[in-house]
Amino acid sequence: MPTGRLSSELILSALLVGLMGCSGDSAPASNEVEQSPADGSELTVLLDAGTVGAWPAGLDPATNTTAGFNLTLMNAVFGGLFQLAADPEGSNPRIVGVLAEGYEITNDGRTLVIHLRDSVRFSDGTPLDAEALRFNIERNIAAPCACAPIRWPWAEENRVVIVDNLTVALNFSRPYSAAINGLPVINVNWPASPAALAAMGEDEFRVRPVGAGPFRIVSNQLSSRLELERNPHYWQAGRPLLDRLVFQSIASEQAAYLALLAGDAQVIEGVTSTAIIEQAKAEAGLTVTPQPPTAPYVIQLNTSIAPFNDARAREAIYLATDVEAIRQGLFKGWYPAAESFTGPGGLFHAAEVPGYARHDLDRARALVDEIGGVEVKLGTLQSFVAEQVVTALQSQWREAGIDVSIETVDIGSLIQALRSREWQALLQTVGSYDPESGSGVTLRFGSGQLFSGVADPALDALFADAASATDMHDRDALYTTAAKHISDNRYAPFLFAFSPTQIVTRGVSGPGLTTPIPPIAINTAVHWQDVSLHHQ
Amino acid sequence: MAALDAVVAASPARAAQPAGIALPSGLLCLVAVLCFLVPLVGSLPSPTGGDVLAAGLPPFSNGHILGTDLNGNDVLSRLAYGGRSSLVIALLANLAGLVVGATLGAISAQAGGAVDAVSMRILDAFIAFPSLVLVLVIAQALDASVPGTIVALSCFTIPAFARVARAATLRLREQAFMLAAGLSDAPAWRILAFHVGPNIVPQLTSFLFLGVGISIIVEGALSYLGLGVPPPAPSWGNMIFHGQQAMHSQPSLILLPSLCIFVTVLACNLLADALRRRWTAQ
Amino acid sequence: MRFAARLCLSVAPVLFAVSLITFFAIEVLPGNTAEQLAGVNATAEQIERLEQALQLDRPPWVRYGEWIGGAIVGDLGVSLANRQSVVSLIAERLPVTLALTSFALALALAAAVPLALISVYRPGGAVDRTVAILSMTGLSLAGYVLAPLLILVFAVQLGILPSIGYVPLSDDLIGGIRSLILPATALAVPLLGLYTRFLRGDLLEQIDSHDYMLAAKARGIGPWRALLRHALPNSLFGLMTLVGLHLGALLGGAVIVEQIFALPGIGQLLLQSVNLRDITVIQAIVLLLATATVLANLTVDVLYAALDPRIRHGRA
Repeated sequence: MPTGRLSSELILSALLVGLMGCSGDSAPASNEVEQSPADGSELTVLLDAGTVGAWPAGLDPATNTTAGFNLTLMNAVFGGLFQLAADPEGSNPRIVGVLAEGYEITNDGRTLVIHLRDSVRFSDGTPLDAEALRFNIERNIAAPCACAPIRWPWAEENRVVIVDNLTVALNFSRPYSAAINGLPVINVNWPASPAALAAMGEDEFRVRPVGAGPFRIVSNQLSSRLELERNPHYWQAGRPLLDRLVFQSIASEQAAYLALLAGDAQVIEGVTSTAIIEQAKAEAGLTVTPQPPTAPYVIQLNTSIAPFNDARAREAIYLATDVEAIRQGLFKGWYPAAESFTGPGGLFHAAEVPGYARHDLDRARALVDEIGGVEVKLGTLQSFVAEQVVTALQSQWREAGIDVSIETVDIGSLIQALRSREWQALLQTVGSYDPESGSGVTLRFGSGQLFSGVADPALDALFADAASATDMHDRDALYTTAAKHISDNRYAPFLFAFSPTQIVTRGVSGPGLTTPIPPIAINTAVHWQDVSLHHQ
Repeated sequence: MAALDAVVAASPARAAQPAGIALPSGLLCLVAVLCFLVPLVGSLPSPTGGDVLAAGLPPFSNGHILGTDLNGNDVLSRLAYGGRSSLVIALLANLAGLVVGATLGAISAQAGGAVDAVSMRILDAFIAFPSLVLVLVIAQALDASVPGTIVALSCFTIPAFARVARAATLRLREQAFMLAAGLSDAPAWRILAFHVGPNIVPQLTSFLFLGVGISIIVEGALSYLGLGVPPPAPSWGNMIFHGQQAMHSQPSLILLPSLCIFVTVLACNLLADALRRRWTAQ
Repeated sequence: MRFAARLCLSVAPVLFAVSLITFFAIEVLPGNTAEQLAGVNATAEQIERLEQALQLDRPPWVRYGEWIGGAIVGDLGVSLANRQSVVSLIAERLPVTLALTSFALALALAAAVPLALISVYRPGGAVDRTVAILSMTGLSLAGYVLAPLLILVFAVQLGILPSIGYVPLSDDLIGGIRSLILPATALAVPLLGLYTRFLRGDLLEQIDSHDYMLAAKARGIGPWRALLRHALPNSLFGLMTLVGLHLGALLGGAVIVEQIFALPGIGQLLLQSVNLRDITVIQAIVLLLATATVLANLTVDVLYAALDPRIRHGRA
C-alpha cells in the first residue's frame, strides 16, 4: 500500500516538474532584492499568526490592543524611546535611549525625566519634540490595551510636564523607579506623529500610522503582511542597514521552517517547538539563538475554592510535579528549572528558593491519601508547548493519585472562567525582566486581581514595597522574601523558565536576532535599526 | 466495440467478481477488530499518561513496537484507541447526515406544490448556511470534545446528504413510475417513504462510505480550528496534526495514522463500489 | 426582468434568515469583541471603556436592526476591531481565495474526468485498478499533510516554486500562478480522488442500469461516443452537484491551506473575526458565502432543466 502513495506522489511530481520545466525562471524565489553594496537589502520575517503575527486592531499605539505582542512591529515602525540592550553574549542588560537620549530618575523616584535627542523627525518630517511626546503620552495612557501604563501610580495633577523643548517629566504619586524598566513594552515608548494623525484621521491612522522608527509603512494588511521601507528621516546616520523589511504572519511553525529552508524568508521570530529547534540546530545554513528566559511557567492554583483552599492539596501538587522529567523529556534540558517568578535573563533572579517543596512522589501519595483524594481541572491556553506540558503534568499527578482532567481553552472561555472564579489550576507564564514591568507579578499573585489565585495581604505589601523601593539591593531582598513567602505557603509551583528562540539564515545578524537580549515581557525586542543581511 | 459488448453481455458475471462485498467488508471488520477488541484482549500500554522521558522513541524500540510520540505515549496503542474515536465519530456524523440530511433533501425536492413554499425556503436557508462558519462557531462555543466534533462534522455531512438526496430525488421524479405515483392520490409521505426512499438509498449508502473516509480526515483538520478530539485522547486525525512538527525527525508519527486512514478509506470505497454494483444489478 | 425579480424574491428571505441565524449564533458565544480585543491581561475598566466605545452595551435587537438597515441599502458597515470598511477588507482578500479555490477545482476536474473515463473503458482492468489506488491515496491524504510534503519537495529541495506568500495575479500573472500551484495542488489532490471515484461509479451505474448504451450499439454508435455523448453529461450533472455540495468543505480546506502557505484570503479573515466576535465582518462573509451557495444551487437546477430533454432523448 505505501507503494501506492509513493507512486502517486511520483506521478504528481513528474507532472508538475514537467509543467514547470519550461518556466524559464530560475531566479531565487519571491522576495530577495538585488543587493548593492551601498544599499541595505530586504529581509522577510515570519511571525506566528496566533500571537505576534496578529494585529487586528491596527498599529496605532493608542488603539492597538495587542501591542504587547506586536512588540517587534511597533519597534520597527516607531523605533522606541528606549530599548533593552545587552553585550554580545547577552550579559550586562541595560536600558538605553534610542529615540531618546537618556533618562533621569529624580525626586526620590517620584519623577522620570525623559531627555529627547535634538532633531529627531517622524517619517513625515515633523519633529519629535516635547510637545509631540506629551500629546502621545496623554493619548496612550487612556488606551484600552494591557500595554498602556495604567498601573503606573500617576500623580493626580501635572502627571506629564514639559520641562523644555526636548525634555518631558513624568510625575508619580509615590516612588516608582521600576517605570523605566517597563517603558520599552509600554505604548508610551512609541510616539506617533500628531501632524499625520490630524491629517489622516484616526481610522486610517490605525492602518498607516507614522512613527519615528527606522522604517515606514508601505503597505499594511492587518494580521497578515506588513511591508516597510527605510525611513529617510531616521535620526541616526547610516541606519537602518536594511532597505526593506517585510513581516509575514504564518500559522504553522513547520511551514515557517520550510520557508526558511527554501529561501523565501530569512527570519523566524519566536520559535517554540522543540522538534523544529532541534532540526534547525542541525542545519548548517541556519543560526539558532535562544533568548535568555525571563518568564517562568507557573501552575496557578486557585486558593479561594476547593481543592486548593487546603494547603495540603497544594503541597501535594508541588511534590507530584517532576520538573526535571519535563525539562529533559520535552525540552532536551534547554530551559533552566525555576522556583520563583524570575528567570536567569531577568533582574533579581534566584535559581533556588530555600525550603522549596521539590519532587517527592511518596510524600505526594501520602498527602493525597490523607486528604482523601484530590480532583483537579487543569486549564491552559491553546499552544503546542502548553498542551505538551499539561499532558505531562497530568501523567505525573495521576501517579500520585490525583484525578486530573485537562482543558485547553481559548481566551474567551478563559476570561469567563476567571471571572466566575470557577477555575482550579491554570498553566501560565509569570514575570518579566523587571517583576514590575508589563502586567507585573501582582497580576498572578495580587489580591483582588482577576487573574490571581492568591489573596494574601502580606504578599501584596512585599510587592508594593519592592515596586516603590529605589535601591536595587532593597528591591532584590524584598523579591527574595516574596519568593520564599510564595514557596512556604505553596501558592503556586513553578516549572522552568521558557523563552522563544530566534532562527535566522546565515548572513543575517543583529541584536536580539543573533545575539541574546532578555525579553522584557514575552518576546525579545529586536533592534531593527542594527539588523543587517549579507548574501553569502 | 469490445468494451461495449463486455458491458452489455457480462453483467451477471461481473456481479460475481472477486473483489465483491466480501473483501472490503472483511477489511473493515479487521480494522474494527483491531481497534475495538485487541486493546481489551492484548496487553497494550495506555494511550495516554506516558513517561515524558521516553518521548520520541523510534519504531521497534524496547516495549514500544511502533515507538512513542512526543509525549512518550505508545504509538500502537494510540493507533488502536485513536481508531475507535475516528471511526465512531465519522460513522455517527455520516449517519446523522444520512438520516437528517437525506430526509430534508428528499422533502425539499419532492415538495414542489405539495409543501408550503415557506418551509421550502427554510430548508434552503439551512442548506445554504455556510458550514464552515457553523463549525467555527461551534468550535468557539464548545470546547474540544467528542460530541462537539460529531456536531461540527454533521454541519458538513447534513447539507451534503441533503443536496445529494435532493439531486437524486429530482432525477428520480422524471422516471415513469414516479410520474405515475404523482398522478395517483397517494399522499406525499407515502411517495417519499415507499418510492423515493428505496430508490435513493443505494446511492446514499455509497455516499456514506465515501463520506466516512473524508470525515476521518476532516476531524483532524478540526484540530487546527480548536475542535476535534481533546488532547491527550488520540484520534487518527489529531495524531497527524500533532505529529506535523516532527515531520523530519519522526515521520512515522504522520505516516502510521495516514496508513490507517488509507486502509480504512480503501475498504470503505471498495465496499461502496460493491454495494452499488450489487444494487444496480438487481 | 420578471425572472430577475423572482430570483430576488426567492433569494432575499433565505439571506435574511441566514443573517439572523448568524447574528444570534455569535451573540450566544462566550465573550464579546471588547474582551477578545483587550486580551487576557487587560483590566476590567479598560474592557468596559472599550465596550462603550464599540457600543456593545446596546441591546442585541438594536444592534441587529442597525446592521440590517444598513445592509439593505448596501452599507455593510465597518469592522469592530479596526474600523476599516468591511467591503474593502473583504475585497482585499476575496480574489485570493477565489483564485485558489478555482485553480484547485479546475485542477481536480481536469484530471478527474479523463481518469474516470479511462478507468470505465475497461472496468476491473489494470488501468482501472491503478487509478482506483491513486484516487484512494489522494482521498486519504489530508490537505494539511500533503502541503508540507509538497513544500519540502518543490520549494526546499527542488527550489522551483515559492513556499509561502501570494503574488496578485493582476500584478504578475506568471508569478501569481506559481505562488498558487502548490496550495492549489494540496487542495486539489483529495478532491481529485473523490471526484474520480464518484464519476467512475456514476458512469458505471449508467452503463449498468440504463439501456441506452444498448440502444446506441443498436444504432451503430461506437462505445466512446456513447460514453461521451450520453453517459458523461448525465454523470457530469451528478458531479456538479457533488462539487456544489462540497463547497463548504472546500472552503474549510482552503482556510487551512491559506494558513500554511500564508495566503491572505477570506479564510484567515473569517477565523479571526469569529475569534474576535467581529459581527459586521462575519455577517458580510456569511452573506457572501450563502449567496454563492444559493446561486450555485439555482444554476444546477437550471442546468438540469437544460440537460433534461437530452436525457429523455438519449433513452429513446
